[in-house]
Amino acid sequence: MLKESVLYGSVGELAKQIESKQLSPVELTESYLERSEKLGPRLKAYARLTPTIALEQAQAAEKEIRRGHYRGPLHGIPYAAKDLLAVKGIPTTWGAKPYANQVFDYNAAVIEHLKNVGAIMLGKAAMIELAGGLGYKYASASLEGETKNPWDTNCWTCGSSSGSAAIVAAGLAAFAIGTETWGSIVCPSAFCGTSGLRPTYGRVSRRGAMALAYSMDKIGPMARSAEDCARIFAAIAGHDPLDRSTLPVDRAAFTYSPAADLKSRALRVGWLTNAWKDVDPGVKKALDAAHKTLQRHFPSVGPAALPDGPWEDAANLIVSCEGCSAFSDLIWSGRVKELNDPLGQVGGYVNQTISGADYNTALRLREILQRKMTELFDSYDLLATASLPVPATPLSLDLSTGLAFPDPLGAIGNLCGLPALSIPCGFTEKKLPVGLQFVAKAGDDSAVLQAGKIFQQFTDWHRKHPTLNQV
Amino acid sequence: MKKANGRILSRREFAQRAAMLSATASIVPPAVMLEARAETSLHDQAQPSTPKLSPEGQAEADARYQQVLKLYGDRLSDEQENQVKKMCVELQPALDRIRAYKLDNGEAPALYLKPLYEREKKPQTATASTSAPPAARKP
Repeated sequence: MLKESVLYGSVGELAKQIESKQLSPVELTESYLERSEKLGPRLKAYARLTPTIALEQAQAAEKEIRRGHYRGPLHGIPYAAKDLLAVKGIPTTWGAKPYANQVFDYNAAVIEHLKNVGAIMLGKAAMIELAGGLGYKYASASLEGETKNPWDTNCWTCGSSSGSAAIVAAGLAAFAIGTETWGSIVCPSAFCGTSGLRPTYGRVSRRGAMALAYSMDKIGPMARSAEDCARIFAAIAGHDPLDRSTLPVDRAAFTYSPAADLKSRALRVGWLTNAWKDVDPGVKKALDAAHKTLQRHFPSVGPAALPDGPWEDAANLIVSCEGCSAFSDLIWSGRVKELNDPLGQVGGYVNQTISGADYNTALRLREILQRKMTELFDSYDLLATASLPVPATPLSLDLSTGLAFPDPLGAIGNLCGLPALSIPCGFTEKKLPVGLQFVAKAGDDSAVLQAGKIFQQFTDWHRKHPTLNQV
Repeated sequence: MKKANGRILSRREFAQRAAMLSATASIVPPAVMLEARAETSLHDQAQPSTPKLSPEGQAEADARYQQVLKLYGDRLSDEQENQVKKMCVELQPALDRIRAYKLDNGEAPALYLKPLYEREKKPQTATASTSAPPAARKP
């Protein structure tokens, strides 16, 4: 098996070695598979490994590269996909018992994109059942049980892209694909010390992905650095004529070039003063240091405030209504009782009673909020704050009380489809990662990626890895 | 009828609940709305941590709970019924807040989200009538 230092390499580092034929995609894949077989079950990180697909793709990549046909920076790079992305011929469980044997006869668009650039699928990452679409209160709300945080296995990874974050943090793959409706990329990235991009709504096709909230679901990369996220995002972004939610060609596509696309643009950062009501002291310490780093390396960092309004209520209502529509068959049939979580078993019943008028009012509020945020982004290119005000929480925590704090930025960002990036910015005294979050206006994904890249040029938090002896 | 306590509803209470049912039940079969049931008010059993609701809000939360019981009561355990009760009460303040936000008739819904790329210069007529209060996160 390859050394841990290789397996924790960034996509950029691995790609360089693969392109120069110093690193074999087959050997890299075998090493990740071996590590995943050993550590994956202990962390409950995978829904399943797909060694046959992985080795087949690795051999094909190796052959092509040897023949001089190098496809680009993801060629020969192993990854894991959240188990709500359809992969032809193998179960796609959506993390939920009622769908444990569900098999599609096609690949999700994202899986196809990654296949086309030569990436290697190692397996399907564990996730919260239905991505939390009908509610959940325990980390165990998953077909695989609670995913353990590689930094402290008594703690949770956050959800719903739980496995994706654990896999990247534990060095079981070079990157993973996650999804976010509200917090599902940002929170696991923060809890696990990985870099995660929630793209602008509509930039990545959701064809073949489980729908939770049609007007809020996004698919994005979780990786070792902002730059890796940019490389992966470039491979998966783009208009899809078969997904009507995707943006037009010129607005959906993203091209990445280390030299050109992320070149320094004078980013004006708005440091949010009202994103969190209370911040854990350990998180605050790391955040204050991150604030100073931003002040040193960004031309303008000033205080900014989110607009007041019932945005969280509107976001909750939209997710609740769209979720109970997406899973209406499960609710009407009563098969929600098969879900693991006590909240998920009944949440759909309550959400079905929300009126169409109230749903519509929430959508009207969204329109107003979009305008308010556009105005705010006249003064700033980016908003920055902690990804979460707390570090990773204990596995057994009742999330309905333990993680129930106001999250206006999460609500606003997801209601308006704004891009966000979470990157590690330090640790608490208990050695749990702390995340820093950047949010930009719709379509300006390159701003959050550029900010992340600059921050990571001057810090090395993203290069820290957990000691996995205890796992 | 599960857990009926035999309490007799006044005509006024019945009318209020029936009205609330029809206000909240646009997604469920109309037949359900005809059978508002006489049940203990949620407020009677509210847990200390549950939000305090206005009489109208309480009536709506009660109606919502009854509606769930009517549709799905036979599927629910006692514990699940309590959970549903709690959720109905907790949902109410969010509904109250979004309804309290001043919206002009011409403020259209974002029916299908298209992120705004260009600044739209529409007149800002809406103002928040309440500040954003704490609300449960959906991880």
